[in-house]
Amino acid sequence: MNKLKLNYTSLSFLPILVCIPLGYQLINNIHFGGFKLFQEFLISAFNPKIDNEIIITVIKRLNETILIGFFSWLVSIIFGAIFGIISSNIFYKIFNIPNFFYRIIRFFLTIIRSIHEVVWGIILMQIYGINFSIGIIAICIPYIAVNSKVFAEQLETIDYKSFESINQINAPKFSSLLTLIWNPIINTFKNFGLYRLECSIRSTVILGIFGIGGIGTNIFLSFQTLNFRELWTYLWSIAILIILSGLIFKKIKFNTTNKILSIFFIAVFFITILFSFSYFLYFIFNNNFENFNSVSSLFKSSSDLRLFDLLKLILETIILSLLSTGIAISLPPLVIGNFNNNSSKIFIKIFAFLLRLIPTPVILLTLLTFNNPSLSLAALTLGLHNAGITSKLLFTNLDSQDKRNYIAMKSLGISKMTSWLLGLFSQQAKSYLAYCAYRSDIIIRETSIVGVIGSVGLGWQLQESLSSFAWQEVTIVLIAYSSIAIVGELINGKIKNSLT
Amino acid sequence: MNNTVLELENISYKYKNDLILNKINLKINSGEKIALLGKSGSGKTTLISVLNGTIKPTQGEVKLFNKSFEELDRKQKSKITTIWQDLRLIEDLSAEQNVNCGLLAENNFYFAFKNLLNISSFKKAHKYMKLCRLHNSIYDKKIRKLSGGQKQRVAIARSLIQESNILLADEPFNNLDPKLITTIKSLLLENVDKNNTKKFPKTALVALHRLDLLNDFDKVIGIRDGKIFFNIKRNNLKKIHLEKIY
Ligand SMILES: Nc1ncnc2c1ncn2[C@@H]1O[C@H](COP(=O)(O)OP(=O)(O)O)[C@@H](O)[C@H]1O
Ligand SMILES: [Mg+2]
Repeated sequence: MNKLKLNYTSLSFLPILVCIPLGYQLINNIHFGGFKLFQEFLISAFNPKIDNEIIITVIKRLNETILIGFFSWLVSIIFGAIFGIISSNIFYKIFNIPNFFYRIIRFFLTIIRSIHEVVWGIILMQIYGINFSIGIIAICIPYIAVNSKVFAEQLETIDYKSFESINQINAPKFSSLLTLIWNPIINTFKNFGLYRLECSIRSTVILGIFGIGGIGTNIFLSFQTLNFRELWTYLWSIAILIILSGLIFKKIKFNTTNKILSIFFIAVFFITILFSFSYFLYFIFNNNFENFNSVSSLFKSSSDLRLFDLLKLILETIILSLLSTGIAISLPPLVIGNFNNNSSKIFIKIFAFLLRLIPTPVILLTLLTFNNPSLSLAALTLGLHNAGITSKLLFTNLDSQDKRNYIAMKSLGISKMTSWLLGLFSQQAKSYLAYCAYRSDIIIRETSIVGVIGSVGLGWQLQESLSSFAWQEVTIVLIAYSSIAIVGELINGKIKNSLT
Repeated sequence: MNNTVLELENISYKYKNDLILNKINLKINSGEKIALLGKSGSGKTTLISVLNGTIKPTQGEVKLFNKSFEELDRKQKSKITTIWQDLRLIEDLSAEQNVNCGLLAENNFYFAFKNLLNISSFKKAHKYMKLCRLHNSIYDKKIRKLSGGQKQRVAIARSLIQESNILLADEPFNNLDPKLITTIKSLLLENVDKNNTKKFPKTALVALHRLDLLNDFDKVIGIRDGKIFFNIKRNNLKKIHLEKIY
């Protein structure tokens, strides 16, 4: 009876075992040198610097962040939908195009999204120099590919029979296509697309940390100079921005029966497409490719990277991904289930919000105040940040769930924790795990950013190779990255399929 | 003057190892009203899917107006309309939008776009919905919110609005009460409209379960295990015929 059964619920908790090796390494690496700094960092959260000067800086830099975040969101969501359509089965069925092309496009998109926007940003920066539009382009490239995957997945849910019936009406092919994909596209936009704005803003902040415009640059500088009060002013201003953008979208009712609103959306749609194309052409022809010689030397330069080192880095990256995914999966249900009362709930929600808000490089730098850099520390950082994201989803789903089972069990005298587990969480476990599988795709990509700062894995090597213009090494590292991400995505796809 | 519009020549359809249609030969002449009888699982739905080109037979040839499907253009193929047994409506669109989908073949892309934005004209759709006795309170309701009988009639209206020559209907009277069945049956089978305001399909093949609905048909086809057992004038239908297929 007391045997541990492998079901969705236990699978959600099992990954917490990663804490054993993680904790071991962390405890070994502890130091108290930066305790004061850490304390100061925490206290400053309640006492951010507010004066005229910094407010002007915040407004200026936030403006840039909003511009980059908004435009990269808009462009990536529209082109994401378009690529989603041309990488979905339904498109090939209607136009009778061989599936071969479908595989090529999907493979191409998988490679593109396996590389993090920060990496795209750094590469573009090396080629073109610092430039405002690099932020937008760097975010758009992987985001278009990520969004297209989500759109394509939703389009795969179109019933084959409704396709047959529309097909039998023998309408012009584009009419049939539009009629079939309309609702899945609109729904994906509502359920997923709006949330991506928040992601775009976060990505903009992270790009800023790496020197590509916006408020992230100030965050990094204020951390470097240990101006924690200033740092928190910037962090809180981003918090306000994210909360505000969420509220605005909640207010807007996307009513497709409203003529004026429809026409407005269609206008935005086409203007964005036109503008993106013309800008893209302008960007390409108006850059003199200062560093392009170094790109063309890609095949000439010899590499110092030895096979053994590369394998070690790959292994590190995989372990880093696994450890962080373990934390991101198990920590939220563990904490939420154990502290299941109203006041702790608010506290957990605020904490999760902070974990989402503070960019991973900053979390890592903070943790470095009392721990030496290690793979575990990088994993903890990534795990905590992503736990902030998975717990948001878990909270949203738990809050909207029917609580009758839970209440009934509690009234039978079953302990609160057990009632929560069996009455509430067990119904969520499956969809929660499916979401975590998707999340782990993202974690693999994000290992590159903590890698740069925490000096682990391929991310660190990438930074090294990029700063010494060793393009061949860069290529090798990127290929290694893509391969890990592609294999990861394949495994996750299998897991997700078995879950849904 | 037998004018064949739809013809099956030695059609077989295999799914995995099952022979679902077995060497079927069939000629449908212009103006004929045919009842297709057979118990559940006998192959009626499959036969209809072959007739409208949705399923490619494993063997044999389907001819519409004496041409195989590959030779026909879109406009010619749209001369057939189908009422599916499982309706196949688009659940997230409203009833009137679904009916308007029937007009996609004769209109351009812009019409499809306007239909989805809900800004196209629904005049014709409403006319056909009214004929199917659909109340105007459900015109703009999502399909998923309708009852079985309402959905059934939306599917029928979507099919009739195409004003095609040939109608293939797969158990179209499911979910309907007796009074509605009479109305719908006359819509599907009536040759000429007295007021000349609507065009009904001239030729119809209707898969049926119930024998009491056979009047008004010219011909009866009996199918069992994917084989045609009889194909006769309705007046000649005898008990022994029915015993063969049930
Ligand atoms: N998609 C399918 N997959 C497997 N078997 C099918 C499929 N469609 C039909 N069949 C089989 O084909 C036979 C005929 O089915 P069908 O044409 O639906 O008969 P009817 O419409 O007369 O009830 C049945 O035995 C059914 O099990
Ligand atoms: Mg059937």
